[in-house]
Amino acid sequence: MVNSAVSKIKVDPRDAKLSMAHFYVAFIALALGGLMGLLQTLVRSGKYELPGGIGYYQILTVHGVMMGLVLTTFFIMGFQYAAVSRTAGTHSNAARRTGWIGFWTMTAGTAMAATMVLLNKASVLYTFYAPLQAHWIFYLGLTLVVVGSWIDGAAQIMTYAKWRKNNPGKPSPLLSFMAVINTVLWIVATLGVAATVLFQLLPWSLGLVDTVDVLVSRTLFWYFGHPLVYFWLLPAYMCWYTIIPKIIGGKIFSDSLARLSFILFLLFSIPVGFHHQLTEPGIDPAWKFFQVVLTFMVVIPSLMTAFSLFATFERYGRSKGATGLFGWFKVLPWGDARFTVPFIGMASFIPAGAGGIINASNQMDQVVHNTIWITGHFHLTAATSVVLTFFGISYWLIPHLTGRKLTKAMNKLGIIQGWVWFIGMVFMSGAMHFEGLLGGPRRSAFSTYGGAKQAAEWIPYQIAQAVGGSILFLGIILVLIIFINLAFFAPKGEEEFPVGEAENPQESAPMVFENWKLWLGITAALILFAYTIPFIDIIQNAPPGSKGFKTW
Amino acid sequence: MAKAELKTKHKTEIEDSSSLKGTLASVFLLGFFIIITWVSVYYLFVERF
Ligand code: HEM
Ligand SMILES: [Cu+2]
Repeated sequence: MVNSAVSKIKVDPRDAKLSMAHFYVAFIALALGGLMGLLQTLVRSGKYELPGGIGYYQILTVHGVMMGLVLTTFFIMGFQYAAVSRTAGTHSNAARRTGWIGFWTMTAGTAMAATMVLLNKASVLYTFYAPLQAHWIFYLGLTLVVVGSWIDGAAQIMTYAKWRKNNPGKPSPLLSFMAVINTVLWIVATLGVAATVLFQLLPWSLGLVDTVDVLVSRTLFWYFGHPLVYFWLLPAYMCWYTIIPKIIGGKIFSDSLARLSFILFLLFSIPVGFHHQLTEPGIDPAWKFFQVVLTFMVVIPSLMTAFSLFATFERYGRSKGATGLFGWFKVLPWGDARFTVPFIGMASFIPAGAGGIINASNQMDQVVHNTIWITGHFHLTAATSVVLTFFGISYWLIPHLTGRKLTKAMNKLGIIQGWVWFIGMVFMSGAMHFEGLLGGPRRSAFSTYGGAKQAAEWIPYQIAQAVGGSILFLGIILVLIIFINLAFFAPKGEEEFPVGEAENPQESAPMVFENWKLWLGITAALILFAYTIPFIDIIQNAPPGSKGFKTW
Repeated sequence: MAKAELKTKHKTEIEDSSSLKGTLASVFLLGFFIIITWVSVYYLFVERF
């Protein structure tokens, strides 16, 4: 075969080292955050109290920050750094040095923020909404994480730019293109969170100013908060579009379709932050409605992705002789953890996406807003679709980077891990969805609300969440066992870094997809249109600012 | 023995291997699922607000 030479390409060991550094931080965050998640479900069941006067909102902050911010950002940066090295060529020394500087900046920032949370000086939850006020070191730590991630991302962009220069007029390797889209999305999105932290929260927590404009800071946060979830999701899509086809022995359905859907995500995932603020006063409903319309545009690339994945699977199945409407489903390689674990993630995206459409439906948001339904929703999107795909990636990428092999035993354990996670999540997320429809609040320790009848209805669901949480925690232990095995103990060998090929390789992607001036221009135009007038409105009609509150 | 058995079960009907009708059915099912969940919560909304 012609492509067997290509598939043997290895990530350079010097690049592998930097990727692995990211993964160590990510998996430590998973261990810590996972323990907190278990404790949360136990507390909320009403059968268990935290020892030593530890506050519920402190552990909830640890969980949200470790899982939502640290695990995701470090894993994604490590994965994309390796993916660019694998497909666009080994990073130059300058790019690698840039990557290391970014990594250490992020790590130092993480350590600062985590220390303040653990000292109970920053129990502000992972969204750090004003007027809750954390210690200034927490905000400074977050600033370093963001700035570090920009430097880290610059390494990927440098190598992509080098490839483009050496291959004029040719479309870049698909995986590198996708990584760069996601990095650009991240940089544009984090400008908002950097603005609120630097200009509002940091001076305010230092005592340089007394009050903060709450709505401005929340608006800047959600300018960042929605693209944040796409920043988590796109690396999973990278795996689904380009890596899974290779693992099953099929082809990428269409290279151009994949690129187009990534560009649509870049365009439509940023100017939509108001859909997290639909119940918030102070924002003109007309502008909320406009951003809701843009939100629904994201349905298009999502369904394009679903179609293209089904098509990849069906084409592969039929090439193996499967017949009938769904015969192809049975011949998929269910015994391969590299396929099955991400596949469970993909399947979970069906209920996750349906829930998202409900959340975004302007008026219907009132049914679910701030209920535990929302938590159930993002434990399907982030904590199942995304992280199971990340785990599935780890099962070949870690041994690839450490020069080891995924053994049969570990492959089997990986499959068990995926199903354990799935079962735990059916209980936990399922119960969260139903409890939320009955009005049960999120971000709340156990309470009977003074013996209220409605609150009593929630308790059985909270017990079901504790059952699910315990099963999920077992899933986390399995992941950690596999990670440690693959990083340090698995037998030496060569594990493939799978990269798929398009069904029609001679049909190369249109060069307009690489026209960054065009796409960044449209992105900026949409953002300016969606935010300028409402933002001026918010500032001009601002109520008096708020002093800081510490509720813990 | 085994060979003979295989032969009798052999299908003569030939399916086009490039067919994507399973994909079409899958996206339709996906669409119905989205509509059903959406409408159920919509009913809750109409009842409550
Ligand atoms: C052992 C597995 C897990 C368990 C048992 C668990 C449990 C929970 C629970 C019960 C809550 C809500 C508590 C409340 O609102 O009062 C929560 C919140 C959250 N979880 Fe998890 N979770 C797990 C894994 C994950 C993963 C893998 C991620 C992300 C990738 C994640 C991200 C979050 C986030 C961002 C929040 C929101 C925190 C907040 O509202 O401030 N969780 N988790
Ligand atoms: Cu959103």
